[in-house]
Amino acid sequence: MKDKNFEIISVAQDTGGAKDAGPWIDPLKYVSVKPDLPPATIETAKKIGPLSYTVLIDEKHLVSKLYNMVNVPTGVWINEQGRIVRPNEVAFVDDRFKNFTGMDSEPYLNALKDWVQKGDKSAYVMSEDHLQKIVTAQSPSIALAAAEFGLGEQLYKSGHHTEAIAHFKEAQRLNPKSWNYKRQAYALTSEKDYGTTFRDEVQKIGGSKVYYPPPELPGSEKSAPSPKL
Amino acid sequence: MKANVCSGLLLILLLTVVPSTANELRTTIVYDDTATDLAAAREDGGQLWITTADLKRATRFEVKPQGVCRDELCFPLPKARQQEFIRKTPPVTWFNMTAFAALVHQSVAHDAAMSTWYFGLRSDQRQQLSSLQAPDFTLPDLQGELHRLSDFRGKKILLVTWASW
Repeated sequence: MKDKNFEIISVAQDTGGAKDAGPWIDPLKYVSVKPDLPPATIETAKKIGPLSYTVLIDEKHLVSKLYNMVNVPTGVWINEQGRIVRPNEVAFVDDRFKNFTGMDSEPYLNALKDWVQKGDKSAYVMSEDHLQKIVTAQSPSIALAAAEFGLGEQLYKSGHHTEAIAHFKEAQRLNPKSWNYKRQAYALTSEKDYGTTFRDEVQKIGGSKVYYPPPELPGSEKSAPSPKL
Repeated sequence: MKANVCSGLLLILLLTVVPSTANELRTTIVYDDTATDLAAAREDGGQLWITTADLKRATRFEVKPQGVCRDELCFPLPKARQQEFIRKTPPVTWFNMTAFAALVHQSVAHDAAMSTWYFGLRSDQRQQLSSLQAPDFTLPDLQGELHRLSDFRGKKILLVTWASW
């Protein structure tokens, strides 16, 4: 989807920074240090060459904090004036995880193409009134969850892994909707430290379709009401 | 081991002869996601006091006549409550970080055993989202080159997060 007036900015929410995110950004460079990369990832990298869009590393999960995001992938559309025209929603731009999500990326990609072409006149751009209803500032408990998570990250990075776990748990308690707080914490040590598994957590909320609610796209039969952010 | 015992004894001796510094701790504070180690901070009834020199070093905020300021941003301190925020024990001036965080509606997380404090987004940063103006940020790419969201102004942007986990 090349267009001189359109840019994809893809941001890795990884406490481990380039060490963890790097192999997925530049697989050919990292394949020697991370031999367990899926063969399909290596093949795709060989076929398409270097990525044509901007990929940033966000060790502190700053973008999730600023935009009140709770999962990955989460997409936001920002217009030429720097205004949000579609807020946080599940944003798959390919079908790599279709087996898990049951979601086809095509409707979202078509919506995106429509916006790139028509700009603010696109039917997929949300009205100011609707946006005001669904985009809200963080509540104090969500903000405190972010602080507890940040403290956990600081302790983890300074080598105090056990001490970090209590704060990751507190972040998960204060913002139970955040999958980022669960999955990043599990990845840093182990699910065992939290007495659960990712699969169990997804089952608890009703499965992968609740985990990844389809984007609210006009004309789409499957569109679900957008969650309060 | 000998050196540790010696320095331990020296510390006890120091704490005994200088009671005014007895509650001063080595502390780490994280502000704007940047960690700074402070040689001496005071924790008093759940409140964190740091020197104004450390305030500047760790947060870039400075106490000025008009308030606590950084660049264009300035938070006035309520006149009647000055002593909640500032204590002078010459030559040092102490600043109450936790009272300031409460003033600017900033979330704070604390690990007492590790003497580490994390200061989250202030309300002015959190409120920005409801204005629908995309919150700005600067982050590095894999090569370490910094990119700022607002540098892409004039283009449509799909901002999308992902993770290796």
